[in-house]
Amino acid sequence: MKILYGFLIVSLMAGFLGAAEAGKITVDGSTTVGPIAKAFAEFYMKQHPGVNITVSESGSGNGAKSLINGSCQVATMSRIMKQNEYEAAVHSEVLPISFVVALDGIAMIVHPGNPIRELTMEQIKNVYIGKIKNWNQLGGPNVPIVIISRDTNSGTYETFETRVLKGEKIVKNCEYVGSSGAIRQRVQSTPAAIGYVGIGFIDSTVKALPVNNVPPSPETVKDGSYPIGRPLYMYTNDYPKMGSDLYLFVNLFLTKKGQEIIEETGFIPVTNY
Amino acid sequence: MQRNERNLIMSDAVSRLRRLTALILKGFLLLATALSLVAVLLIIAYITRDAFPFFKLRGLGELFKSTAWFPSGHPPEFGALAIIFGSGLVTLGAIVVAVPLGIAAAIALSDILPYRLRQTVKPVIEILAAIPSVAYGFFALVIFAPLLQNRGGSLLALASWIIALPLGLLLIFAVTEIATRSIREDMVKPARLILAAVLTAILCRSLLALSAMLSAVKISSGTNALNVSIILGIMALPTIVSVAEDSLQAAGRELREGSYALGATRAETLFKVVIPAAGSGIIAAIILGVMRAVGETMVVWMASGNAAQIPSPWFNFLSPVRTLTATIAGDMGEADQVTGSSRYHVLFALALCLLLTSFVANLISEWILRRQQRRLGGLK
Amino acid sequence: MNLGSRKLFDRSLTGISVMAVFLMALSLLVLLGPIFSRGLGAFIFRATSEHRRMILEQFGRGDEEDVAAEMQAVARARRPLYGMLKKFEDELKNMEYGKRLGYRAQLKEVKNLLHDLLGPLPGEPETVMLRQEYGQTRWDRAQAKLGQILFSEQWDYSDKSSMGKKMLLPRRQFFAGTQLEPLFPYLKNNLVQMLRPHLVFYWRFLTDTSLDSHLFGGIWPEVLGTFYLTLGAILLAIPFGIIAAIYLSEFASAGRLVSMLRVCISTLAGVPSIVFGLFGLAFFINTLHLSSSKSVLAGSATLALLILPTIIRSAEEALKAVPHTYKEAALSLGASQMRMVLTVLLPAALPGILTGIIISMGRAAGETAPIIFTAAVSVGQPLKIWETLSQPTPALPWNIYNLATEHQAVDEIRHVQFGMVLTLVLLVLLLNLAAILIRARISKKMRG
Repeated sequence: MKILYGFLIVSLMAGFLGAAEAGKITVDGSTTVGPIAKAFAEFYMKQHPGVNITVSESGSGNGAKSLINGSCQVATMSRIMKQNEYEAAVHSEVLPISFVVALDGIAMIVHPGNPIRELTMEQIKNVYIGKIKNWNQLGGPNVPIVIISRDTNSGTYETFETRVLKGEKIVKNCEYVGSSGAIRQRVQSTPAAIGYVGIGFIDSTVKALPVNNVPPSPETVKDGSYPIGRPLYMYTNDYPKMGSDLYLFVNLFLTKKGQEIIEETGFIPVTNY
Repeated sequence: MQRNERNLIMSDAVSRLRRLTALILKGFLLLATALSLVAVLLIIAYITRDAFPFFKLRGLGELFKSTAWFPSGHPPEFGALAIIFGSGLVTLGAIVVAVPLGIAAAIALSDILPYRLRQTVKPVIEILAAIPSVAYGFFALVIFAPLLQNRGGSLLALASWIIALPLGLLLIFAVTEIATRSIREDMVKPARLILAAVLTAILCRSLLALSAMLSAVKISSGTNALNVSIILGIMALPTIVSVAEDSLQAAGRELREGSYALGATRAETLFKVVIPAAGSGIIAAIILGVMRAVGETMVVWMASGNAAQIPSPWFNFLSPVRTLTATIAGDMGEADQVTGSSRYHVLFALALCLLLTSFVANLISEWILRRQQRRLGGLK
Repeated sequence: MNLGSRKLFDRSLTGISVMAVFLMALSLLVLLGPIFSRGLGAFIFRATSEHRRMILEQFGRGDEEDVAAEMQAVARARRPLYGMLKKFEDELKNMEYGKRLGYRAQLKEVKNLLHDLLGPLPGEPETVMLRQEYGQTRWDRAQAKLGQILFSEQWDYSDKSSMGKKMLLPRRQFFAGTQLEPLFPYLKNNLVQMLRPHLVFYWRFLTDTSLDSHLFGGIWPEVLGTFYLTLGAILLAIPFGIIAAIYLSEFASAGRLVSMLRVCISTLAGVPSIVFGLFGLAFFINTLHLSSSKSVLAGSATLALLILPTIIRSAEEALKAVPHTYKEAALSLGASQMRMVLTVLLPAALPGILTGIIISMGRAAGETAPIIFTAAVSVGQPLKIWETLSQPTPALPWNIYNLATEHQAVDEIRHVQFGMVLTLVLLVLLLNLAAILIRARISKKMRG
């Protein structure tokens, strides 16, 4: 705790020093980390007028690529860098440093009118690979399941694919939508739908189901009992120069304000003030 | 005075110089004009360059034969057949919506509406053409999709009335016409009336049944091939109408007047004289309009549902599909560009398919239009 | 066929084709209707006191004293409400454990909703994000929130054969007999005093920057970005477009080269826009390194290629429409061909060329696919003019997509999305209107 406070003070002091040199920071990458990056960017720009931070949400892979060819300073990613990306980075003399800025859990959501109370990992997998096609196989009414997934260009999809499907192929009639918000919207308007979103996106319009008896919540993700959790990353090329805008920006998640922003955007902070 | 005279009668040297500068200028102009050529060549070169590694790595077969599109799987699979099919399906839908409507509207504009009304309709076409595709996409996603999902059945029923009623009446008219051909002169009118009334009753009854059946249809998701087809059809309309109208106009007054002079009605003139003369132009119009639908990105990305599947049965427009353009736009973000993975190059391979399709379609329509120009020029 | 039926056939053809035109016009109306009616909602709406407080605090506009006075009046109206909350919390402390637990979860929900509706409740810690600092700024959203407070959604699963049915349960019943019960009727009856809605015309929506990812403020960065992209594309495309048109209409002889050029131009016009985007990424950014990453410059260059064929074609048509007599007169006076083009042909064709340029401006402003990979970002400051060479920008078309599909609070910012769409559509329509007017003037001049 003390260390963190010390860190906060140091970074605030550094902030005053760093404010003198105006600059730009380009952030590129994951749509999942987008809300955090956008909120951080606005918060930072308000505190340091003259710094322009642009945030693109073009996907984790694009973030890695931009970092490696030097076109962005911060890559936001909802998955860890892949081996070949590391290799490419080393090849072009880029040293990716990762910051785990927040945690996220993937929650299974259904329409609130759906009587299903919970699911197991096995059931989720069977729904998504097409072995379970109707809600009555899960104890619900006789209605075919409408399966909704994030687009394949998202880190959320990849996490879901590796953690839940475990390498099996998603069923072909699965609908793909561009974002967690869009999934929530599809599910709240479609009684027979099932989808998955980051836990920050759960609200009263949809029903988030416990998985293996564990309800999705910040607490269960944090203590590791919720089975589908993951860290969210920011990558920089080499550790940023102390006191620079970049340094302050990527370390914002360690500050108290940063923690509040992360909580407010619906993710789980790694700090605990 | 003296000087002016000398200027007017140019010496050989001056004249040569002038010709030389003119030549140089002309060369310069040509160079600037050639930018289009260069751009086209560069586009082909770059897309091919980045598509080639995919074919080298994975061969041709998988892309066009398999329907398994799992670019992020372990191992990944790149079967784009379902995606190509999706593009085809929504294009087919767009054709069904846009071609009859577009050609009928083109006929109205070229031959039927009075001049003043024509001038007020033309801006409508221009506005339809000018509205940005993202606005169409937004409409499809935010307004049309929920509408389809909640009131889909009634919408379908309404559409069936709008389409089937006029066509049905036309059919009834034709049938009564043919059926009463051999009846005694003074019986024709009442016989016709009775027959028409009976047939109209049957038509309305069956339409009622059809619309009741359609009203019961539940659309599980509003973002589907039907939604996209209708919107793409509307987007393709302006191209079809304006090109088709141009070629109908190009058929010329003389042809029409000749036909009228022989006692033909306007409809007969159109069907037997003008449309055969302008037919190739109309085909070119359809091709150009269809290409607009094939190449459109935002609408399909936002509102097609993006499911990489061949619907079952294949013509099931109510199921979500995925198209080439949406796949490129959507998957580019996650494709590991640095490492030159198949996942990156496959998108260029898809772009190459699109590009080649548009080239071929363009060349064909260009060729058709030019041939028509020459032929009609010869007629005059 | 006898004459009567031939006539009838003729009539029905007329009917069908007129109906097609009518359907076309109808589809335009159906398309533009909601965009206009709901898009205007971003500009004209009933703004609450929270809106005026936000405008004053964030943008420094408005009369400080007026707003302070209004906040006091509003606070007076809210005081009894907060008093009821306080009383209930005290009551809760003395309750037995089981009962307390049931109420607490509900209370938390009510408090969260109240916070969303009215802004920070007394005694709440200071917050960091703007969305926490203000209540609902729009009366329509406030009423939606009020509904959520008054009624909680429950689902009845008793029918096993179908999905559950929605029931709206008044929260008041849940809290019946407690100190919180009177809160609900009080809130319902006094919400107008608590938020004081007034109709405003918020034209600054266009020129205010966005705050907290478009939850507050306007769309200035997007408007400016679209302006830069369009301007850049036009500036790059005009010289090449007009030169090409001059060459094709005046200098080119009908040869193989020229017909190939024409084919290329029409081919370029047919290339799908997403392919332009890929090409822009691969060529302008990854090969030419116009900028190290996405930038307005790269986006403009890509858009310029996209609109080049339109400009060439319309300019060529305008040049060809200039009467031959003009040219011949100039040439017979001894002008060189070049001079004739510059001094006679171009000025005469200028209005026609201008229409083409204006229409392609509309096209460039509205295209999305080419700028996804080359220029557009979701969040960024408004750029200075020299920054366009190296920095990406938000732009209307891309951000419409982004807000409609990727934003966290898609439903709460519908009005912003519609406002953006309306702005873009209006921009394009105005450009087209200008083109139509210019064309009408030309045709009048030609006839007169």
